[in-house]
Amino acid sequence: MSDIELYLFEVDKNKAEAHDIAEKSASRLEAKKLKLIDLITSLEPYINNKDDGSIRAKSVGYLADVLAFLPLKALSGQERRLLCDFILGRIEGDLEGVGASARALVALEGLGKWDVETVQRVMRTFIDNTHPLRQFKLQTERYSIVQLIDLLLAKYREASRHLQEADQEFMPSFISYFEGEKDPRNLMIIFSLLQVPMTEWDVHANAQDLFDSVFNYFPITFKPPPDDPYGITAQDLKDRLRDCIAANSDFAPYAFPQLLDKLDSTSMNTKRDVLQAIQACVLGYEPNTINLYSVTLWDALKFEILNVQEEDLAVESLKSLALIAARLTDSADGPLNAYLRPVIKECNEHLEDAPTKQSEASGRILHAIAVSGYTAADKVVKGILPTLFSLYNGSQSITKRRGLLEVLNEIVAAYIELGASQPEAKIEALQASAGDAVDAMIRALVSAPKAEVSFRLASLKGLAQLVSAHGVLSEKESGRAVDTVTDIVLHEQLEGHGNIRAQAIKALTDMAHSVPHAVRDRSLPAFMVELPDVPAEASSPGPVLEAFAQLSTERQIFDTVALRLKNKYNSARHQGAPQDYQRSLLLALLYTFTFGTPTQEDGITRAAYFTEYAAPLVTDVASSSEHQSDSSTLEIVGRIVNVLLRPQGIHLQSTVYNHNVQWLASAVKDTSQAMNLAPFTLHYYAALRPEVADAEDIVFVLKAQADLALNATPASKGADTVLRHISLLVNKFINPKTMQATLEASDIEVGALLSGIPSPQAISVAFAVVKGLLIQGKTGALATKYLQALLDLLSTQGRGIAQRFATLLTPDDILSKENHCLVSGLYKQKIFNQAVPFMTAAVRTADATSKPNYFIALSGILRWLPYSVIEASLPSLVAPLLQTLDLTESTDQSVKASALVIFESVLMHDSTIVAEHTASLVTRLLNCTAGPTNHASVRAKALQCLALAPRQLKREAVVPYRRQVVKRLQACLDDAKRSVRTEAVKCRTAWLGLDEGNEDDE
Amino acid sequence: MDADKDNANPTIINPSDLPSRRRSAPTAKRPGIFDALAPAYPSLADPLSSPEASSDSASSDEEREEIDEQEVYDLISTISDPEHPLSLGSLGVVKLDDILILPPTSPRSRISTVRVLITPTTSACSLTTVIGLGVKVRLVNALPPRFRVDVRIKEGTSRTADEVNKQLGDKERVAAAMENKSLVNVVNTMLATCE
Repeated sequence: MSDIELYLFEVDKNKAEAHDIAEKSASRLEAKKLKLIDLITSLEPYINNKDDGSIRAKSVGYLADVLAFLPLKALSGQERRLLCDFILGRIEGDLEGVGASARALVALEGLGKWDVETVQRVMRTFIDNTHPLRQFKLQTERYSIVQLIDLLLAKYREASRHLQEADQEFMPSFISYFEGEKDPRNLMIIFSLLQVPMTEWDVHANAQDLFDSVFNYFPITFKPPPDDPYGITAQDLKDRLRDCIAANSDFAPYAFPQLLDKLDSTSMNTKRDVLQAIQACVLGYEPNTINLYSVTLWDALKFEILNVQEEDLAVESLKSLALIAARLTDSADGPLNAYLRPVIKECNEHLEDAPTKQSEASGRILHAIAVSGYTAADKVVKGILPTLFSLYNGSQSITKRRGLLEVLNEIVAAYIELGASQPEAKIEALQASAGDAVDAMIRALVSAPKAEVSFRLASLKGLAQLVSAHGVLSEKESGRAVDTVTDIVLHEQLEGHGNIRAQAIKALTDMAHSVPHAVRDRSLPAFMVELPDVPAEASSPGPVLEAFAQLSTERQIFDTVALRLKNKYNSARHQGAPQDYQRSLLLALLYTFTFGTPTQEDGITRAAYFTEYAAPLVTDVASSSEHQSDSSTLEIVGRIVNVLLRPQGIHLQSTVYNHNVQWLASAVKDTSQAMNLAPFTLHYYAALRPEVADAEDIVFVLKAQADLALNATPASKGADTVLRHISLLVNKFINPKTMQATLEASDIEVGALLSGIPSPQAISVAFAVVKGLLIQGKTGALATKYLQALLDLLSTQGRGIAQRFATLLTPDDILSKENHCLVSGLYKQKIFNQAVPFMTAAVRTADATSKPNYFIALSGILRWLPYSVIEASLPSLVAPLLQTLDLTESTDQSVKASALVIFESVLMHDSTIVAEHTASLVTRLLNCTAGPTNHASVRAKALQCLALAPRQLKREAVVPYRRQVVKRLQACLDDAKRSVRTEAVKCRTAWLGLDEGNEDDE
Repeated sequence: MDADKDNANPTIINPSDLPSRRRSAPTAKRPGIFDALAPAYPSLADPLSSPEASSDSASSDEEREEIDEQEVYDLISTISDPEHPLSLGSLGVVKLDDILILPPTSPRSRISTVRVLITPTTSACSLTTVIGLGVKVRLVNALPPRFRVDVRIKEGTSRTADEVNKQLGDKERVAAAMENKSLVNVVNTMLATCE
């Protein structure tokens, strides 16, 4: 059988096989084993089969397949021409297999470029003979033709354009050729190929038809089928259609009226598409064209902003207005004026009855337009500010003045944004009014009643903005602004309503960013005046100090703020100021280095800060350790040293370490002093890189700390710090390989600690060691063994042990990567995997006295775990957690609280897990809402959980409890605590809401 | 008259000027910004000394926070107006000064009264009754049963005040209104914005 016979035989049954046959023919043709003429001749009986159109079509398909498999240069130019003529000739007489013909032509084109004449012939043949495209029912056929035309337009721009120029009749039939196409795959290509005539050809005469041919598809409402293999989304179609609409200015007379007509649609999605299209048109069309429609557009778009239906529509409308202004700015002055005149007129009208929604909207509109460029901003300022100020001065109403200031602030905000993006400022117009604005705002801040919060806040914001708008204010004016705000921060002592200090501090920090010199020269000295070296009895410089420290968030004044604080601390110390005050100054310094923005070198805080700020403090501690007894001050010093030392490199750290190792060693040896010094040493050692420290010294310190901890009385204050220190040393400095030996050498081997009847101190130390090991994750077997030893204690010991389990996972800012500790990524999972299954199993067999131990320990562990870790094990946890809610002792409150937090997450994310326990959950939650046996936090949390039930659980599961819950919640409405009552109201509303569904169903 | 034309542009009170508990009650021990610098967690030595637990237990048993006017205001100021997408508080329909809690009339009685006076946005506001109903429903559901809820229209602010007051004061008529499905829907939409 010949190839064509084989092909025809297979093509309907086995596509792949048919392809193989075509490929074989192609390779024989390439190897010259088969002559092209023979191949064509072999097609003869089939391609001309008079009776069966489908056989003719399949024969062309075979030809197309063969051609597609041919490599470049397999056919001579003459052969290709002949084939092309052959295929086109066929189309003229017979439309069967037209899709395959198109494919064949695409393949032929791939084998060698076409000349102008061929291109035009192909195009004409298709447009003349296959018009309209929709006559072909098969999407694939149309798809091939569309691809061919796309190819012609994309590759042979000139040739296809000449076609249109030579023949006036061509364009109408070309436009109507694609009419009625509905398939998204074809449309994607059609929208894309139409871009060529739309943007490159002279289509003035046919603009309306061309526009309508695409706008018919607007708005796109296509929804891709659920398992669409082509992955075309509505958004893809929308994007391409939008590009078509915006392609040519000649479309404007048709596009804008129709788009604005559709803007009145009730469908929000249509409106969204319209606004996107308008924006694209504004960007795509010529400014001259935009000019003709600018006012029409304004008249329509403004309603979306003045009466907001959906916030995003307002935002897009604002963007459109801004784009129009930006487009018109490029041309002469006239068009922009013509556009802005009605805008400014209308906004001015709205200002008259400020504050209203409309005046607020006017502010947004003016902001959007001003942000489009300095030219537009200039016109806005000239058009609006005179009216605004005359209204401001003509009114005594504070509310109205506030509304006006808010609009002014919007305009000034636009200047700040412009200043950030466009270096060449044009601010004369704003400068002219800035003086008035500053005066008005300062007056408002100084003289308006303090209770007029929104008015004062608007003024405050306005001042900060005017100062930030680059170059708008003179130095004198910004100075006055800075003074006014500084004065509020320093001297307004209002508590409660009217207190705007927090915002004033923020404003001052913002100002420091724009005018650092003014803040440095004017504000900082004023602050220093308020901060005495030794405070008098009554005065409390706390708020001033807090405000001062917050200024350090601005990099440009950081160094000044920090230096002033240090000097103040030194003089306070030398003049013997109270410890509290000294401590506050140190806290302020710590705040600046923690939350401020110190200068950085190579990505880390400058080393000089350590030598200038921390080193002297360490020297003080070393020299005066005997009489400086306040350990809370020592902790702050430790934290300052920590934050400055820990990022530094090994070199500096070694120097510091060697410098201090001597005196620290002797201090640690002295038991009474060591306990006192513990907060300092803890933070100091936390800052060190492990390679810096000497191993022997570490063992020595560990031993000393262990001694301290084991001999501490329960009342001693520093015991906790010492335990944290042990965790730190174990985690960071000790080689995991020699861990057990080192622990033994330091007398804190966990097995030994827990043998016999361990003392509370020994148990604490054991937990500290295990915590360090678990977080480190390098000594798997040892950590597992020790943790098991602790778990085993649960069955024999009292509640103290159980409660300590919460500490294993408690976050500790000492054991962190920043402090060079070893923090395993999976330690939480590891603890969970070992401890939780053990406890859930043990609790089932435990006796009544030890049962609570397991509940307490379990929720102590779960309390700090992320939900994702416990998620998988929830089904086994629900039962013990429910029983946890039955605990009644007052020490168990935090245990219950953490169980409730878990139930809250479960109800939110996996409510099906608790669904089968609905009855007992609802009852227990209700029990937890009763005071005074439950703490307020437990009551509130229980109500929060209970409020989730009607929303998260199936209706039929909760409805039976509605009566009972609503009734019992009445008592909670009268709870002693306000926060609990608030939750009770929410909860009861949720349960009362169940009723409505009931009625709807019936 | 068309409801929308009653009062198309009411004055809106800025949220920062609305009364709230944070401002009216000065807090004695405001947490300073420095407190965050030394976070406190349950310690290894004494796991029960967690700061939350201790501060909680200290205050929870001591004092009872009585239900006051501000609390009632917080309950109803977040109700939405049926015609504007704004809260009753920001429209000035309910005001803190117009809420009064009357103690029990005799020592033997436990029943206190909450009286709320409503100021419609205009004297011709056609939805005054619905607003009153919404406020009443909210308070009946959210206050303990020992409170009697008395919602009225502030004198001289509405042309229909007497009629509305009669309706709101009549238990039967309120109950009947809440049987009306479309009315229930309106009230529920109003209350949907309540926290």
